[in-house]
Amino acid sequence: MTIEMQRPKEASQEMTEVRVVDSDIHPTPKRGELTPFLPAKFRSLFENRATGAGSPVYYDAPDFAHSFAMRTDSFPSDGNFAGSDPDLMFRQVIMEAGCDLLILGPLNGGGQTDEEHHAVTQATNLWQDACWLDSEHNWHGRYRGSIVAAMEAPEAAAREIEHWAGHPMMSQVLIGAELRPAWGDPRYDPVWEAATRNGLPVACHLGRGQHNELPMSPVGFMTYNHDLMVSYSMLAANQVMSLIFDGVFDRFPDLQIVFIEHAFNWLLPLMWRMDAIHAKRGPENGLKRKPSEYVKDHIWCTTQPLDMPEDKLEFTRSLEWMEADKVLLFSSDYPHWTFDDPQWVRKHLPLHMQDKIMYQNALQVFKNLPETVPALPGQKRAQ
Amino acid sequence: MRERTTVRTPLARGREHVVATVEEIPPGEHKVVPIGRWGVGVYNVDGRFYAIANYCPHEGGPLCSGRTHGVTVVDPEVPGGAAESRAGEFIYCPWHQWGFELATGTTAVKPEWSIRTYPVRVQGSDVIVTA
Amino acid sequence: MDSEGRPVIDASVHAFFASDRDLRDHLKEPFKSRGYPDVDVAWFAPPDGVRYAPGTQADSVIEQQAFGQPVTRMPGHPGSDPELVGRQLFEERGVDIAVLHPMSNAGILPDWHLSTAIFAAYNQMLVERWLDSGTYADRFRGTIRVNPNDIDGAVREIKRYSDHPRVVQIGLPMQTQSPYGRPHFRPLWRAAVEAGLPVAVHIEMGVGVTHPPTPSGITRTFSHLTAYQPMTFVWHLLNMIAEGVFEEFPELKIVWADGAADMLTPFIWRMDSFGRPHLEQTPWAPKIPSAYLADHVYFVHSSLDGPGADADFADDWLRMTGKEDHSMFGSSYPDWQMHSPDDLPRAWTPEQREKVLWRTAARLYGIELPLSAPAPIPVPASA
Repeated sequence: MTIEMQRPKEASQEMTEVRVVDSDIHPTPKRGELTPFLPAKFRSLFENRATGAGSPVYYDAPDFAHSFAMRTDSFPSDGNFAGSDPDLMFRQVIMEAGCDLLILGPLNGGGQTDEEHHAVTQATNLWQDACWLDSEHNWHGRYRGSIVAAMEAPEAAAREIEHWAGHPMMSQVLIGAELRPAWGDPRYDPVWEAATRNGLPVACHLGRGQHNELPMSPVGFMTYNHDLMVSYSMLAANQVMSLIFDGVFDRFPDLQIVFIEHAFNWLLPLMWRMDAIHAKRGPENGLKRKPSEYVKDHIWCTTQPLDMPEDKLEFTRSLEWMEADKVLLFSSDYPHWTFDDPQWVRKHLPLHMQDKIMYQNALQVFKNLPETVPALPGQKRAQ
Repeated sequence: MRERTTVRTPLARGREHVVATVEEIPPGEHKVVPIGRWGVGVYNVDGRFYAIANYCPHEGGPLCSGRTHGVTVVDPEVPGGAAESRAGEFIYCPWHQWGFELATGTTAVKPEWSIRTYPVRVQGSDVIVTA
Repeated sequence: MDSEGRPVIDASVHAFFASDRDLRDHLKEPFKSRGYPDVDVAWFAPPDGVRYAPGTQADSVIEQQAFGQPVTRMPGHPGSDPELVGRQLFEERGVDIAVLHPMSNAGILPDWHLSTAIFAAYNQMLVERWLDSGTYADRFRGTIRVNPNDIDGAVREIKRYSDHPRVVQIGLPMQTQSPYGRPHFRPLWRAAVEAGLPVAVHIEMGVGVTHPPTPSGITRTFSHLTAYQPMTFVWHLLNMIAEGVFEEFPELKIVWADGAADMLTPFIWRMDSFGRPHLEQTPWAPKIPSAYLADHVYFVHSSLDGPGADADFADDWLRMTGKEDHSMFGSSYPDWQMHSPDDLPRAWTPEQREKVLWRTAARLYGIELPLSAPAPIPVPASA
């Protein structure tokens, strides 16, 4: 047996078409790697808090003490955490799985105050620029970053977006999902305004909040990781309703929202439900259009987790009724344990939707993605 | 093993292979041998040997990079009400933690999803896999 | 019967006291003089002021005293007069049997003693006024309301009424401090099973000690809340499955009385897909989650449910995840959302219509149809 080690460190002169764009993939700092990028006043504070601190996990994925909710083959050999090695990510996701362009979504947690939340996003953006998007680590040009923004401080977040907008390797704004109130509240308008002014979609990724922003359901806390993670989609369903009913897309007609890792099958009945209440009570919301029309024009969901019934035909029909080719963007969620392989995802999609979902929609949503990239000899092509 | 293993020069299929000595795979250990496209994992569970394909039927994960452990059963007598049963007899995929019984390749939850298993026998000090 | 001669069981008719004084007349001191909110409050009321369907106010004039101020005279609360309700349902709307659900806000009060006392008053009123007397007593079936914050009291109340021939189910509030899978609710399920009664979960009216109605706080509009809140069942159901409630109580049947069954399909797909690895954490619920639906889960089919009356795939959708065997038509009389069998999707098959309009409810509640009263003359299928 031999082990394929593909580290060309140089791309071919030959160009190849982008066929898979991965909209959900997670780089993470090596130990101590983020600290130098933090504003000076927080460096020692954050390090002191981390001193002697153990795991904070309390909704645990299966076999957590061994897997840490990761693909267990994604931990680099230097002892750092999964997702911390740009070379290993390159090999596993680009070369072996066949993803062509990766929209990196760092999840570096938050702070205890709005100011701290913002400071972490500032550090995360600087760190991405220096440690992932730079010419050494991104020699292949396949990594794109996210302008991470703290919705806790919308004005500061808007300034952060303006600061990084125009960076050729920054493709989206990334926000957390759990903050209250929901996204329809006008207090967040500066973020939508900055994003749309710069042609950037805003992606919303689930993480974990604290206390009643864990999220907590209207009937209290779930018991297991299983019921918590499945019901997380209820939070996204509410955000969709808030964005639409509270008029965000009327205020920002160019705004594109990407819901990452919130699943998507619920969007079909939710559209019916929103249209039904709109038909009964529409005028009080002052909407210009039917709710489902806003979904098709403004809302995107990533494919992972790709949940299916036993009868795959039901899934296919559901995608057709939903017009999923107007809604979905492929995602792998590497290196998390819920990783979806692009070839596996593609084969479960209706033929006529495959290209749109695997890459064409992404090329439309993320304005600065190339349609062709330098070829990588030995790369798997997931098609 | 973090690299995705593919077998460049597989041993011929459909015949007996001496893959290891008994001492090479002590109880609780396993060895991946180059048979077929993805390799075959040979496991020693308390002196009983099993062989499975190194490939998860769910999304194609490298199954033998996963951990073996038992299954959880209800046990009202212990604090927490649950206990591990049949320790070490199941392999769990390193990607999505789907578990399969080493002896049969099946799972309790969805038996129609199963992994490929191969006959193993011990002759003298040799572990012999038919694959 | 409906316009095509099929029997109709209305599985969701809301029964009220005629007024606060009417309720207090059913309470003894010290509870009679306590403060508690009305079922109708201004918080998130319909912005057009129309809470109930026109023409449902009771004929009787009630003298109402508010805050010790001069007496005001007002018509009886909609849904409070069995004669009027019976006439409208059975004579005008073609209903054969109506399942009454007393509408209260007692289930979300902080003082559980007061809650239990108010529920006892509701149950006494329901049985005496609707089930044991009046022109239409033989056409009404009743729901006994019990307090999940007083398990011992709830069990006693279930036992008190379980032998009444027209009591067909137990009623619980949707809004709770913790989801219904948690172990402290088990005596409730045991009592319901021993009484042989299904348990209906319905949104409690008024205001009280509740978590916000969404994971992201309150909504900004009435439409949003009205469409979202019935989906709350998702958290209860996922938690009940994962906690093994249906393993421990194989006879237990739950009715989600606010509808939103459409959400069952995506969420149970997701729970199944995610369940396979997670079942190791919950050996008390060893089956794939969808396996628990068939014997345990029912929904009222409400006015916001389904893909719309004109969707040509409505029959296929109703089939998915077994909704066709678990949905029961409910009008929500006298709520403003009240709907009728004419509003149901036209693409449903005749068998599906039969199931939703009466067969499933007849089986669940042990109702024998057709009524022995003068037999309805079926309208020929084709003239």
